[in-house]
Amino acid sequence: MIGEGIESTNQRRHSYVGDRIEVGFFTDPTVCIGCKACEVACKEWNQVPDDGFTWSGNSYDHTGHLGASTWRHVLFLEQDRRKGDQITGSMGGLSPQSATVSPTQTNPQSDDPFRWVFVSDVCKHCEEAGCLEACPTGSIVRTEVGSVLVQNDVCNGCGYCVVSCPFGVIDRRPAPLADAGGAFKCTFCYDRQKSGLVPACAKVCPTESIVFGRLDDLRARGADRVQHLQQSGYDDAQLYDPQETSVRGLHAFFLILGEPEAYGLPPKPQIPTIYLKSAWTSAIATAVATLIVVFAAFFFFG
Amino acid sequence: MRLIAKARASDDPIDEPLRALDWWYPEDELGEPKMEAVLAEINGWKTELQSNAEGILFRKDREGRHHHGPQVADYNELKADGSTACGAWIYSGVFNRDGVNKANTRQSKDYLGHGWGFSWPSDRRIIYNRASAKPNGEPWSERKKLVWWESEKWTGIDVPDFKPTKHPDYRPEGNESGLDGHRGDAPFILHEDGLGWMYVPKDLQDGPFPTHFEPLESPVRNSLYSRDTNPVVNWFTRAENRFAPPGDPHFPYVLTTYRLTEHHTAGGMTRFLSHLSELQPEMFVEMSPELATELKINNSDYVCLVSLRGAIEARALVSRRIRPMKLNGKTVHQVAIPFHFGAAGPLRGNAANNLVAISGEPNVTIMETKALTCNIIPGRLPRGAAFLDWIERYAPQSGQPANLHPEQPPLGAPSGGKFSRIRGNERSAG
Repeated sequence: MIGEGIESTNQRRHSYVGDRIEVGFFTDPTVCIGCKACEVACKEWNQVPDDGFTWSGNSYDHTGHLGASTWRHVLFLEQDRRKGDQITGSMGGLSPQSATVSPTQTNPQSDDPFRWVFVSDVCKHCEEAGCLEACPTGSIVRTEVGSVLVQNDVCNGCGYCVVSCPFGVIDRRPAPLADAGGAFKCTFCYDRQKSGLVPACAKVCPTESIVFGRLDDLRARGADRVQHLQQSGYDDAQLYDPQETSVRGLHAFFLILGEPEAYGLPPKPQIPTIYLKSAWTSAIATAVATLIVVFAAFFFFG
Repeated sequence: MRLIAKARASDDPIDEPLRALDWWYPEDELGEPKMEAVLAEINGWKTELQSNAEGILFRKDREGRHHHGPQVADYNELKADGSTACGAWIYSGVFNRDGVNKANTRQSKDYLGHGWGFSWPSDRRIIYNRASAKPNGEPWSERKKLVWWESEKWTGIDVPDFKPTKHPDYRPEGNESGLDGHRGDAPFILHEDGLGWMYVPKDLQDGPFPTHFEPLESPVRNSLYSRDTNPVVNWFTRAENRFAPPGDPHFPYVLTTYRLTEHHTAGGMTRFLSHLSELQPEMFVEMSPELATELKINNSDYVCLVSLRGAIEARALVSRRIRPMKLNGKTVHQVAIPFHFGAAGPLRGNAANNLVAISGEPNVTIMETKALTCNIIPGRLPRGAAFLDWIERYAPQSGQPANLHPEQPPLGAPSGGKFSRIRGNERSAG
């Protein structure tokens, strides 16, 4: 049988759905080559329509952002910063002498750091998901493996989930695309997982920048990777997995270089339902105050 | 089957191929030929009917008769005397006597991937694997060994791509045929002498040792020799295929072409696939912020690229990934274009091939598309008759000879390299 006896969790058959094991994606931009195979594989498997042939002028990123018809998005980030212990410097400043400089030294006159970072963005499948809490129809559910799934035959297209996602992932699909009106996002390839297959994006990732596996294994792997990178000169490597805020951690978490804002990731994502208590309190207080004013009006002018 | 029945009923010679067709394949439950029976035929078998022999994968044909003998192990068992039959010799071994369809296996047994699919011929994974061992048959590297000579035969991780009993000291007498004519320490089985041809007295027009010549179009002179360009290169001089001389002020920028992951070659296969096309939807030119500032070009603006061969338009992609170069104290700007776009299909973009020249590298006649010179004119490209005036203004060439580059042979002269030598020989012979 295809995939048996293979060590990589990206290629191996599994039974996570039957065993009710929490799974995740760990995405590591330090090995991403920006090939966008994940985007193509996702659209092919899930039959997501193409959504525009617009040239963006923003590096090689013509996808732009996640949406109803984009469930994987490779972000291309050009920054005037050093990547790890890379040797930087403009070509013009590179003299025959400086070409022999050892990797730890750089020529201060030509020091001109620049880096091109690729990272494949996806639905985070939050531990506490804003979309799921906002959904009034029960269309959005939590699966056995901990992922958040939109059941498109139940969705009525109300759009409450769209404003409730702290990451701007889920969206309603505009006409004239197929199934227009409903809300769509990454399904974590739940259909594939039920059959023991790995999500399409992780399956095709040629460098295993996207790793699929048990969430506890991936979190340990992510921590190891950050430590290894920091020892290798990537001072700004960190994990993006906000467990202290109301989303309480991500099933799809990321290693990032530098600040989360540069990747379009909120540093402190919150789900809107944490404001429910104060919202209801102020609503009731307003209602009570209005009643008092009305009764007072009758009393004084009646 | 209906066609074969009709052919059998006729006596027209044109139907002879159909009458002779051996459509033996056993059928599956849907009445379709079993695909693995086709693969068994491709692998090859012994033609002598041996109904009880081991190693027959499909004992009965579609009419229930015995059809052939045991499968061959691999192509070494194939004979030219009719005793074996085989659909494709390089696939021989893919489905042999053990009955395992090796093309459908997914269990790697080693780091070369044996057990995962089938690699023709004979499931060899590395060509010329004899080169991994010293002339005496010991591995050069313990860590990277592939095949080695052990107890009077070749063994190893890979399948030897030569006769496994050939002694490392074997020397041919000179009257052998085929691979028997190769020495025991000659790994390059596809060459007639089995050697690597790093340095040979024939066929190579150039090399093998590296040196430096400037590209046929270059903004600078060669610092290494008094000659700028490779003396044995093919220029293919034609009026439509001119080359700018070194440092031509009309074409101050270096142009290089490259490929994007999303598209394949000139885009014919990928520009029509929406899931790939939406990822790289339009022709663009990458340039440094320094050059963009100098030419007053903003990111995403349309610009025209012009060379002596033609002109195209593209969107400007300004990025610090492209840096100006300093050559002989002079700042030289470089621009880069993908070459996947063209007139047909849903995507917009001009073809990079409109800019490149036809030339021939001396040994293999590959043209030089990675190093050219060009000029950049901000704005859209004029169409129709206006284009002809425009190109004459930016790439003036009317009334000029076909060879503008000082080292280029004139029109009709031997153009250098392999072709000129052949012409030269013909001339001296005549």
